[in-house]
Amino acid sequence: MNPGAQRRIVVGEDSVLFREGLVRLLTEQGHDVVAGVGDAVALRAAVDAHHPDLAVIDIRMPPQLESDGAEAAVALRASYPDLGLLLLSQHIQLRHCLGLIGTPGFGYLLKDSVLELDEFAAAIERVVQGGTALDPEVVRALVRARSAPSALDEMSEREKEVLGLVAQGNSNGAVAAALGLSDRTVEAHMRSVFTKLGLHDDGTTHRRVLAVVAYLEARARA
Amino acid sequence: MSRSWLWAYRPDIGAATARSCGSALRASTDTQGADTCHDADMSPKGTRALTVLATLVLLTAMGSAVQSRDGSAWLVAPGLVAVIAGWVVVWRVPTSLVGPALAWSSGAIALVLLGERLVPPASVGLWPINLVGLFALLLVFPDGPSRGPLWRGLPWLYVAATFGTVGSAWGSTQVDGMIVGHPTAAQRVVGIASVASIGVCLVMAVVCVVMRYRQGASRQREQIRWLMSAGGVTVALLMAGWVALGLGLSVPAAFGPFLLAIVVLVPVAVGIAVVRHDLFDLDRLLGQSATWLMTLVVSAGLFGVVVLLLSELLSRYTGLVGATAAFVTALVLLPLHQFVNGFIGRLVDRDRYVGVADIRRFAADVHAGRREPEAIEQALREAQGDPELRVLLARPGVSGWVTMTGAPTRGEGFALEAGGDTIARIALGWESARARRRIAELAREAWVPIEVSRLRLALREALTEERASRGRLAKATSQERRRLVRDLHDGAQQRIVASGLRLRLLQRDLSGRAASEVDATIKELKTTVDVLRRLANGVRPSQLDDGLEAALVTVRETTPLPMSLHVGELPVVDDTRALTAYFVVSEAVTNALKHAHASHLDVCVNGEGPRLAIRVSDDGIGGLPADAPLPALRDRVLSVGGKLDVVSLPGGGTTITAVL
Repeated sequence: MNPGAQRRIVVGEDSVLFREGLVRLLTEQGHDVVAGVGDAVALRAAVDAHHPDLAVIDIRMPPQLESDGAEAAVALRASYPDLGLLLLSQHIQLRHCLGLIGTPGFGYLLKDSVLELDEFAAAIERVVQGGTALDPEVVRALVRARSAPSALDEMSEREKEVLGLVAQGNSNGAVAAALGLSDRTVEAHMRSVFTKLGLHDDGTTHRRVLAVVAYLEARARA
Repeated sequence: MSRSWLWAYRPDIGAATARSCGSALRASTDTQGADTCHDADMSPKGTRALTVLATLVLLTAMGSAVQSRDGSAWLVAPGLVAVIAGWVVVWRVPTSLVGPALAWSSGAIALVLLGERLVPPASVGLWPINLVGLFALLLVFPDGPSRGPLWRGLPWLYVAATFGTVGSAWGSTQVDGMIVGHPTAAQRVVGIASVASIGVCLVMAVVCVVMRYRQGASRQREQIRWLMSAGGVTVALLMAGWVALGLGLSVPAAFGPFLLAIVVLVPVAVGIAVVRHDLFDLDRLLGQSATWLMTLVVSAGLFGVVVLLLSELLSRYTGLVGATAAFVTALVLLPLHQFVNGFIGRLVDRDRYVGVADIRRFAADVHAGRREPEAIEQALREAQGDPELRVLLARPGVSGWVTMTGAPTRGEGFALEAGGDTIARIALGWESARARRRIAELAREAWVPIEVSRLRLALREALTEERASRGRLAKATSQERRRLVRDLHDGAQQRIVASGLRLRLLQRDLSGRAASEVDATIKELKTTVDVLRRLANGVRPSQLDDGLEAALVTVRETTPLPMSLHVGELPVVDDTRALTAYFVVSEAVTNALKHAHASHLDVCVNGEGPRLAIRVSDDGIGGLPADAPLPALRDRVLSVGGKLDVVSLPGGGTTITAVL
């Protein structure tokens, strides 16, 4: 499967084995990997040099081997607001990148999700086009963050379920399929969610993105 | 012996300022810094001139006595001892009036002898001059004359009274001890008034010494004790003289020992007091001999009384009487000795007696748990009268000395031994042979509290070390866990995912059974990665990187029972404590799940200053004893120096509190 156009991608990953695999995978999926680097400093230099569409970044990278990748992502977002950012991690670690979660053109996946080729390709495409791609684990971690805000308390379990799936980047159709509901029911749930979040359709803002952002911010207020 | 302290204190009963100075001195026992009271008695020239004069008078009297061949020379010759003692003092302490006063204690007697010979009509009334030396000595010993009109006036009164006695007895003569003369009425009045004045002067001089003793510092007391001992013997000899006179002895024979004491015993004692005042433990010698003497006398008296009483009753069984009396006497001997010892001790050497009793009471208080053994230093300071006294403890098992508070220090001072080892040293602020003897005696009573303090200090040190070591271990463990988790994530997990990726790419070139086989393998690898992630999470929850609260949320997620979680404002805690807090909560929760049969759990984590306060409560059956082992929990809490509390009433649920 080869959806979408060819994208120019920079890969930042310190494990050579995994980086080579990733580069090969992306190339085979029809993308142009303009640079593959092994640390956060080289990553920023590569983005400065190539102006890619997307940066795929390992969260833990040299030089400090802590959250260097996440910090580099935050810095890149400041310099290049339109650059797509996809963080990869071995485990959920939200420190340093909480501010990015829910913003357009940002994704956060566990590394083993690359093994599901189609879903990974779809996630890349979503992020490049300004959407979000969050691993279900990340969403779960955000959902269980402490005191639930009042807007979410007012929602029914079903509405929260729908919103949770939307927050992962799913379309209404995908949500309907996942929950075994009709498209119209999902739309009705989403309308109710918009109302409870106080989001009105004024024709200029993307209510869907705002709902997800509000949802994630409320959940992540830790 | 330095000279400076000798002049540092000058008792003055008349002037209030000087008294406050004196009492301040007494409070500190340190004679340094008392320069405001300093006032040299006399120039060295003056003291030397006075002493030379006394020597000349004595030598003249001796020459005259030898010439007259009436045997009075033997009375004058011992006076040389006083003059020599006076010279020793003048040599050692040239400005002290004690030297001249000593010289004149025999010089004055010689002067009387000369006067009797040269001015016969005055001979009967000259006797007060005999006492001039002793009188002066009492007024100036040990540190010069007292100030104030009363003490300044006393010598003049003595001089006037002497003129009075001379005047009133002018022309009288002494024949065989009887005074023969024809005094007028006025002479009688003047004579009686003069004798009374001399009596008053002598009593006041004694009062002066007593007051100095009571107000003086320890060094002055030691010196005055010498004078008092000699004085006591002298007075005893005077009394013995009266008795002897009554028994028919001649005047020279009866009062010879008394005069000898004045001219020999007193000067020697005073000389020793000034030059080597701590030569002997005078009080102890005095006290012990007096104690035995009194015990002997009383028990002999008792024996006599018992014999007397019993022989009245049982006139026939004399053997039985003696045995019974001996038995009764033996029975009371020991308690009697102890009683007399205490009595004499209080009387003769109050300081020592009270000090030893204080320390003995302190040791009993420590034994009964009423006082802390560490207060022994303060107790010794008070008993020794030395505010700078320090107790240094030998650290068990390690060489070196520490103070009572555990600070390392240099070992010095009196060594206290127990079981062949030196367990402590006592460093004195004021060193003298007497102080050393005193502290040896006090230390005998104090060794148990000192040893207990030492062992407690060692125990405290060991506990501190133990706690520190546990903390280091906990820290090392948490770092090790972090490293292990990182290795799992970056090593094993990463490699498996990379291999999966290669398989996935390979899969594209395959079809049919091979492709599905590879697909199955990839699924297996994904499961393996998941298992590894869970394993790593058990070693150290990755959410801890996002804060303690994020990690605790996962506990709530994985708990099958409803659990409310409240996390307040938390202080900044290091990774070790955060990890410990996480495990404490999860273990307390596990414990509740296993044993409490609870339906609801409540977890509360709050900041208490720099500490973390964790409370895990359930609504289960309770009944967990307060000292329930909960070993895993307890060990975790203790490893970071925390405290664990368990409250569990039967049927009332269990609440586990930990402060980290």
